[in-house]
Amino acid sequence: MFDSEVLLPDLWDILGAVPVTLAMALGIFVFSTIVGSLFAMVEYRRVPLLRELVVAYKVVFKGVPMVIVIFLAYYGLPPTLQFLTSLVGIDYNGHSTPNWITLIVALTACVAAFQAEVVKGALNSFDNGQADAAYSLGYKRSQVFRRVMLPQVIVAAIPDLANSIMVIMKALSLGFAIEVVDIFAQSQLTAALNFYYLEAFLIAVVIYMVIAYLVTYAADRMERALRVWA
Amino acid sequence: MDLSIMIPELLKALPLTLAITFTAMIAGFLLALIATTFRVRRIPALSQLADLYVSYARSVPVVLQLFVAFYGLPLVVALFEVEDFVSPNVAAIVGLSLYHGGYLSEVLRPAYLAVERGQHDAADSLGYTFLQKILRVVGPQAVHIALPGYGNSIIYLIHNVALVMYIGAADVMATAHLVMERDYNQYQFETYLVLAVIYSLLCLVAWMVVRFFETRNAKFAPNTAPAKATMMASV
Repeated sequence: MFDSEVLLPDLWDILGAVPVTLAMALGIFVFSTIVGSLFAMVEYRRVPLLRELVVAYKVVFKGVPMVIVIFLAYYGLPPTLQFLTSLVGIDYNGHSTPNWITLIVALTACVAAFQAEVVKGALNSFDNGQADAAYSLGYKRSQVFRRVMLPQVIVAAIPDLANSIMVIMKALSLGFAIEVVDIFAQSQLTAALNFYYLEAFLIAVVIYMVIAYLVTYAADRMERALRVWA
Repeated sequence: MDLSIMIPELLKALPLTLAITFTAMIAGFLLALIATTFRVRRIPALSQLADLYVSYARSVPVVLQLFVAFYGLPLVVALFEVEDFVSPNVAAIVGLSLYHGGYLSEVLRPAYLAVERGQHDAADSLGYTFLQKILRVVGPQAVHIALPGYGNSIIYLIHNVALVMYIGAADVMATAHLVMERDYNQYQFETYLVLAVIYSLLCLVAWMVVRFFETRNAKFAPNTAPAKATMMASV
């Protein structure tokens, strides 16, 4: 029933999908952190109308399962893109949008809602007395942000950011529904060729756990190196 | 597209979705209790096993966990020489219970540890057994601390129930696919919007229930702040 001879060839097959998965995860991580930081800044600075919009956005994208968001993007994004480009006057066939772009857009939209929360938490952990001290030393607003706030906020956010990288890695596994091949999809394809399903999935499990271990280990090291212990 | 036909049809599949959710909720909670007990008491081999289980549940995508349950359970059943009873529904329940249990254990353990050290010591010095300590001293306070995290984990469970269609359980998502195909796939976007609303409503109800207990519990433990649970998706 369980054949250990296919494990090694399967491992090489599935490992081939790791770089693509990591690259996509990194892309989504960067985009969603940028969007999430903008959202968090809107909430932190209490920008009137935008703030309510951000809250509504977060409620929507936290309440809907990611699979459904991915399917909505899969069916909704190409027509929207085509419409938008036609407004600008570019002739673009929206249905030629590659699926991996759709997946990246959908996951960025989802994860940004959670990233906003992470960044907001880190911003709130910042001690406002330091900002006052910096202002009294004649720092400009931009200087306070760049030299006093940012270094501390980034360190405070490291554990949550590492967690979100893992969440993105896992969320990419939903991409197999719209034919994007990541670690999980590759394990399914490999299994479909030789019918050793459980073996291929166990390999994928091990790969995911190793990646998670490496990510948390790296984040721990980074936090320890960067944090200034008071 | 006729909403008055589609929505009742989708709701007809809701009992199965809810049944899987509730079974996984209960079984997952029991699993989490067992795993957390092993981990906080540091029972030699068992606590390492529990750690491994928790990191499996938390670092492997839920789809993959479901597939592992679907293909792995028949092997486990064969070991005990029982007749194979593993249907997609059973595999979905087992897979989600394992996932929910592992996730919840990582909510309960910090809550247990967050209860003030002096309370543990006081209970120990009064000669309480571990069970008495949990039930009478630490438990009631830990419940208050853990509730926000518990609410999140229930919401993730509801989200992840949407994935059981991939191993062939006939839940709301699978029914939606049937409905779409019957309409020659014309209204896919609209159907998924309806699904989004259904799942949002389920999450809203779950959130309100947890919220009710949070406010009610605040009366009994006014001095301890509930843990700030950063909501980070879990798939």
